[in-house]
Amino acid sequence: MARLAAKRLASAIPLLLGLLTIVFLISRLAPGDPVTLFLSPTVPAQVADELRRQFGLDQPLLTQYLRWLSNAIQGNFGVSFSHQRPVLQVIAAFLPNTVILALAAIVLELVFGILLGSLAARLHNSFIDKAVTNIGLIAYTLPTFWVGFVLLAVFAYAFGLFPSSQMHSVNSEALTRSSQLLDLLKHLVLPACTIAIPGGAGIARYFRSSLLRVRGEEYITVARSMGIPERTIFLLYELPNALVPVITIFGLEIGTLLAGAIVTETMFAWPGMGRLAVMAIFSRDYPLVLGCTLVSGLVVIVGNLSADLIYSVVDPRVRVPS
Amino acid sequence: MNRPFQLRSTSFPGSRPLLIVVLLLSCYLGCSKGGKEHTGEGRNYVVIAIQGDVDSFNPLFAEDVTAGEINDLIFPGLLDSKFDTTRGVLEYQPLLAKSWEYQNNNRDIIFHLRTDAKWSDGIPVTARDVQLSFELYGDTDVASVRQSSVEGLRRTKKGGLDIHEAVEVVNDSTVAFHFERPYPGQLFDAGLPILPVHVFGKLPRQGLRENAVNQNPIGSGPFLLKSWRPLQEIILESSPASVLPKPGRLSKIIFRVIPEPRTRLAQLRAGEVDLVANVRVEDAIELEKSPQLQIIPTGERVYDALNWNNLDPEEYAKTRGRVIRPHPLFGEARVRRALTLATDRVEIVQSYLRTFGRQAIGPISPLFRWAYNDTLKPLRYDPAAAASLLTEAGWRDTDGDGVLDKGGRKFSLALKITAGDQLRSNIATIVQNELRALKIDVQIEQVERSVFWKDLMQKKYDAWIAGFSVPLQMQLDEIWGSDLRQSPFNLVSFRNRRVDEILKEAKRIQKETDHAAAWKEFQVILYNEQPCTFLYWLNGLVAVNRRVHGTDIGVLGTLHHAWEWHVEPPLASR
Repeated sequence: MARLAAKRLASAIPLLLGLLTIVFLISRLAPGDPVTLFLSPTVPAQVADELRRQFGLDQPLLTQYLRWLSNAIQGNFGVSFSHQRPVLQVIAAFLPNTVILALAAIVLELVFGILLGSLAARLHNSFIDKAVTNIGLIAYTLPTFWVGFVLLAVFAYAFGLFPSSQMHSVNSEALTRSSQLLDLLKHLVLPACTIAIPGGAGIARYFRSSLLRVRGEEYITVARSMGIPERTIFLLYELPNALVPVITIFGLEIGTLLAGAIVTETMFAWPGMGRLAVMAIFSRDYPLVLGCTLVSGLVVIVGNLSADLIYSVVDPRVRVPS
Repeated sequence: MNRPFQLRSTSFPGSRPLLIVVLLLSCYLGCSKGGKEHTGEGRNYVVIAIQGDVDSFNPLFAEDVTAGEINDLIFPGLLDSKFDTTRGVLEYQPLLAKSWEYQNNNRDIIFHLRTDAKWSDGIPVTARDVQLSFELYGDTDVASVRQSSVEGLRRTKKGGLDIHEAVEVVNDSTVAFHFERPYPGQLFDAGLPILPVHVFGKLPRQGLRENAVNQNPIGSGPFLLKSWRPLQEIILESSPASVLPKPGRLSKIIFRVIPEPRTRLAQLRAGEVDLVANVRVEDAIELEKSPQLQIIPTGERVYDALNWNNLDPEEYAKTRGRVIRPHPLFGEARVRRALTLATDRVEIVQSYLRTFGRQAIGPISPLFRWAYNDTLKPLRYDPAAAASLLTEAGWRDTDGDGVLDKGGRKFSLALKITAGDQLRSNIATIVQNELRALKIDVQIEQVERSVFWKDLMQKKYDAWIAGFSVPLQMQLDEIWGSDLRQSPFNLVSFRNRRVDEILKEAKRIQKETDHAAAWKEFQVILYNEQPCTFLYWLNGLVAVNRRVHGTDIGVLGTLHHAWEWHVEPPLASR
């Protein structure tokens, strides 16, 4: 498994390089000028020229690319035009926030999805099963911003149960560590649920179908006839096999969420990678756009690799020869 | 139906305890008040919701308005300013400089500094700090956005700038500014924020923009930067030792970055934030109904206009600016006048701005009473007169297709606006309908902001809606000068010799108000020529909780004199 992981990561390098090169070209060729945002009638034209020189924008495209590539290989992704700090420093400030939100959302999705899917499968063809299936379909197709607005309206504004924005309350630095953690958790609930509700509904549907299929397998019937306890059958036979489609979703979701959930982050003023990337694009902050692309690419690759590795643990039949 | 399996326990082992844990946790999290602040003290602070993060805590590089206002609280300058709304002029008061006098036919200003001012690390503020600050502002390697402020300083014989000559350290508490010639903005330019020489003096100029020192500013002002969480929160803390002019009465000012306008306003209504700037008119009308909130206008410093490119952009682009020909549609003043007559600006103001804006007749704000020509009345909406002018100019619908034409060219144009701007989008729709009634075909195109301004600077558009925020000094040559290379913000490419003379004369007089008659003449010229259709002056709106007292929100900004802010009474923690 370690060799598989190493091989896959090694093959990701040319993939990332290709991705970054494409994004480099597209961002440079797209209309717009990062220096324009610094200009106003009170700022002299020579300042704009100097800024272009400092940002390296006065060089031919090929020179810019080669310089960027040479620096990138050495781990230097340049300075963000809009944040006026090294790109990696900027990303390091925002990535943990996205990781927190993404992991919370994933955990909630998996818990909701598997619980509801199990319940529906257990009570197959009952009212509960139909409710989970139909409501799950509706929830799955709900747009994120709509879910977020409803949660905000009900739980933040109407009942004041949870904060409406940001990661911390005002003056949270005066709290003890445990209180700060609790404060963070309270701020995390609504944005994580905004992502988890549609996601969990999808997982519930997939897991329900998969569990029903697995339960119909002969080996389950044999296991039951051998007197193996239900709990053991579920944990050792049904769950691992039924989880296969969920693992696929997990692999895709973790990559997408770690790249940043822009809608949720904007609604809840969550300072994450999604907002950072969009702001970088609008302000033509080329170094930061590339930095965010690198992070997105890496997390998608790692997410898919994680899914494949978990696959091979859960189902030896799909173990990929290394 | 046969059921080969029936589970007696719960479907997912451990699901029951897990459910119980989740329910208990939810109750616990939900039971404590959500969204309310935690205090270890009475709430002697104010929370301000801002749309975006600051771009820099260094006044050399801060371009954003909020960043500029925050930096002014951390890095005061030689002078404090005040805007006399009766006369419409800027006045200056002592700050770091306790007094000053003019010498050498007003070419020199000698500033006498306070001797008790200190940086937050205890080092005294001296004349050397002032000198270094202006050295940095003027250094091309630093590329400060405020570089133009040193342009009036005395040059060397070779024409360069030697800051040690131009900003002379007479002694620790006396600094002399030597200007090339007297001009109205001398005090304005000398009043820039001052930076500490013991911090910046030894740093390399190249790369100063991204130096980590900018994130940990050492200031001398009434507030210091306590903490900064990027894209989240900025906390300014009162500086107890400050004498410029004094420590802030509030213990803290907290800025929360909340990009969604609805969320900002919801938090304002809920009392979670105390102040929101740049409130939209429709929101202000609703907020005014709340007894706890007040809406404060910041003055008419922003105008919008329907801009008509006075030159032919295709010819301009083809010849790289060497050949300037009148625009085939908008090149004539009477056509532009017709377009102004065809636009019902009263309807626009009444529909979208209500009492928070007024019609504009030119680029000089009514705030500047000494310069504003109040004898000029806005051209009234008169489509018949507009049609008549267009016919006089040779525009007729000769082929009966419903669109005017002349010499084979249709009067058809693309009206560009920035994407996502609802107000301008609404206005564009009104204009489209009104011009269609005159048989002018208008297509509205929304363009992303960065592309919009880049294309404008390259004079690619025929017509667009945009405006300017006017500076407090009457500096209009960048926008109205005829030399399009020297005046890159003359986006409509209006060229007029008399206007050039007026702009040139404005730089030679010492007292700004002495040029009042010329500025009024300037407005008459623009009124007659109608280089663009000035639409309205927009009053900036700030919504504040009434528990905040001592504010001086107005023309000089939201945070002006924020050291006087206080809350009464300080609320107990909740």
